[in-house]
Amino acid sequence: MPYHQFKVSECIPERLHHAVDKGADEDLTDALPLGYLNTIPGTISERGCAYCGAKHVIGTPMKDVIHLSHGPVGCTYDTWQTKRYISDDGNFQLKYTFASDVKESNVVFGAEKMLKKNIIEAFKAFPQIHNMNVYSTCATALIGDDINAVAEDVMAEMPDKKIFVCNSPGFAGPSQSGGHHKINLQFLDQWVGTGEPEIYSKHVINYIGEYNIQGDQEIMRDYFLRMGIQILATFTGNGRFDDLRCIHKAQLNVLECARSAEYICDELRVRYGIPRMDIDGFGFEATADSLRKIGYFFGIEDKAEQIIAEEYARWKPELDWYAARLQGVKMCLWPGGSKLWHWSHMLKTEMGINVVSVYTKFGHQGDMEKGVSRCEPGTLAIDDPNELESVEAMYELKPDLIMTGKRPGEVAKKIRIPYLNVHGYHNGPYKGFEGWVRLARDIYNCVYSPAHSLVHLDISKDEIPTDKGFATRESLSDVNLSDEIKNSTELREYTGDYDPIPRLRKKLEENQYTFPDPVTGEWRQVPLETIKRGKIVDVE
Amino acid sequence: MDNKISQEKMAQLEWYITKHCLWQYNSRGWDRLIQNERILTKTKQILRGENAKDDDTTADRYYWSEAMSLQGAFKRYFPWVAEMSKEDIAQILDLLKERMDHTMVHASLNQELVKEKY
Repeated sequence: MPYHQFKVSECIPERLHHAVDKGADEDLTDALPLGYLNTIPGTISERGCAYCGAKHVIGTPMKDVIHLSHGPVGCTYDTWQTKRYISDDGNFQLKYTFASDVKESNVVFGAEKMLKKNIIEAFKAFPQIHNMNVYSTCATALIGDDINAVAEDVMAEMPDKKIFVCNSPGFAGPSQSGGHHKINLQFLDQWVGTGEPEIYSKHVINYIGEYNIQGDQEIMRDYFLRMGIQILATFTGNGRFDDLRCIHKAQLNVLECARSAEYICDELRVRYGIPRMDIDGFGFEATADSLRKIGYFFGIEDKAEQIIAEEYARWKPELDWYAARLQGVKMCLWPGGSKLWHWSHMLKTEMGINVVSVYTKFGHQGDMEKGVSRCEPGTLAIDDPNELESVEAMYELKPDLIMTGKRPGEVAKKIRIPYLNVHGYHNGPYKGFEGWVRLARDIYNCVYSPAHSLVHLDISKDEIPTDKGFATRESLSDVNLSDEIKNSTELREYTGDYDPIPRLRKKLEENQYTFPDPVTGEWRQVPLETIKRGKIVDVE
Repeated sequence: MDNKISQEKMAQLEWYITKHCLWQYNSRGWDRLIQNERILTKTKQILRGENAKDDDTTADRYYWSEAMSLQGAFKRYFPWVAEMSKEDIAQILDLLKERMDHTMVHASLNQELVKEKY
């Protein structure tokens, strides 16, 4: 695997070891991009900061929490809302964001008094919310505000309130990943073990590294509940603060995004002996294997197999409809961290898509190990590319689409390459069986968009064809398809709902799930309130 | 079994692991060695029809679950696995373990593997 030299980065020699071309008969011991290093002077990368990683990625998906940034207002605004980490109880965490709004005078004279006032004011404005995360920022970390002391002070005055202090200022690491690390361990140290949960099933997991983007967590929650598994807490998508205090009581940590949350799993393994099981919730085979593995752990593999059979029967003909039309599509898979390895092999085997490049903005070398292993020879793997490198790669590789976030996505659009937002999603959820079909549908709509094909015409110089009539996606995608596939009565387009989440929430409200009693093992229903908001007893 | 054949068969199993599994990527080298040892040993034991449960801890149950999943996938993907003798299984799985230790730890270029703390 030779390192890849970008022409635009010849003047920045340090960049050479951040990109490789995967060779046919080579392995990870031949070459591996460097990763998780400080941004090199002279190159502008697309990373977030450690504060953003802590707050935006990990902290804010917690649903019954006031998220307050102790810093200038821009910090909180720029980490607000953009990821669509929804919750099933009203989206408080998306509707509101809070900042202490630090100004110059606070930097000179200190901002602790103002912070205390603001915390109390926020709690009083939203009396139904009893938990708060306070995030330090660069400014307040540098002036040395003691946020922990302020939080202790407030909790003494308001004993029914709980405050988690996240000390992860923007400069505390090369990228957002530094913030992932800090919030994982700080939450564990400050709050895990302070609650005793109500256990209602024989099988108890934490679902870790899952952020409920457009309902991903709720898709997977349905599978787990159908298996009779109690989800003690989700770290952190759609997660309750109190549930997260109890994660030391699970039998198994099911880890989805290792990049953002392996730290808390590893520490729970060391401190409490809870095993860590990494899973892939994207793709049919990967999801099936994951459910099967969890089934083995609890001795309920028959339940897993039943779900797999039902989901395959329901959704596989729809996946295959898109797969028949996506064969050979060229894609740059440029997400933030984990999706490059969650997706690259499944996109190839289940949709026929050729991933020609993977990149990560904030991933570590471990992420590149997974990503490079799972993609095909010839793929260009890039760590923390700058914008010029991304543009050079797009011109060179000529992908049919880019799957990335909105900032690099806008760059792609400007050079007329369609992009799908795989951070906040276009029409997610993308997880599980149904979610994977929705992703296939979004890719299909993106690649074969008749409207997008018009961007290749430059009205200032190109001759506009007037002999071409109306086009549809299908008329573009089906040109080379066999009659057998075109006329198949088994394959069909996505027939699910515009938004599948209300259906899953209704199912939960109807309490259709059963669980084995923790003591007797007898399968029975559990009160809905217990499933949704189990009792937590405070412990010292 | 001829060494060349066993190497070829081992490479097929390695291919499956690199494309489908995540357990080999724990972030520290010592951790990876434990994962390789526990999961591949149990996979070998299950494929040879032997007891693969050491104790009643959740840790052991976790390794066993990964091994159960892996051996099932090996049989699905490579029908020759189910027809091998116990000796051949041992030979190939031992080679696989050696190979995984080599690529994922001893010859790995991942600079984080030697860090002390998580």
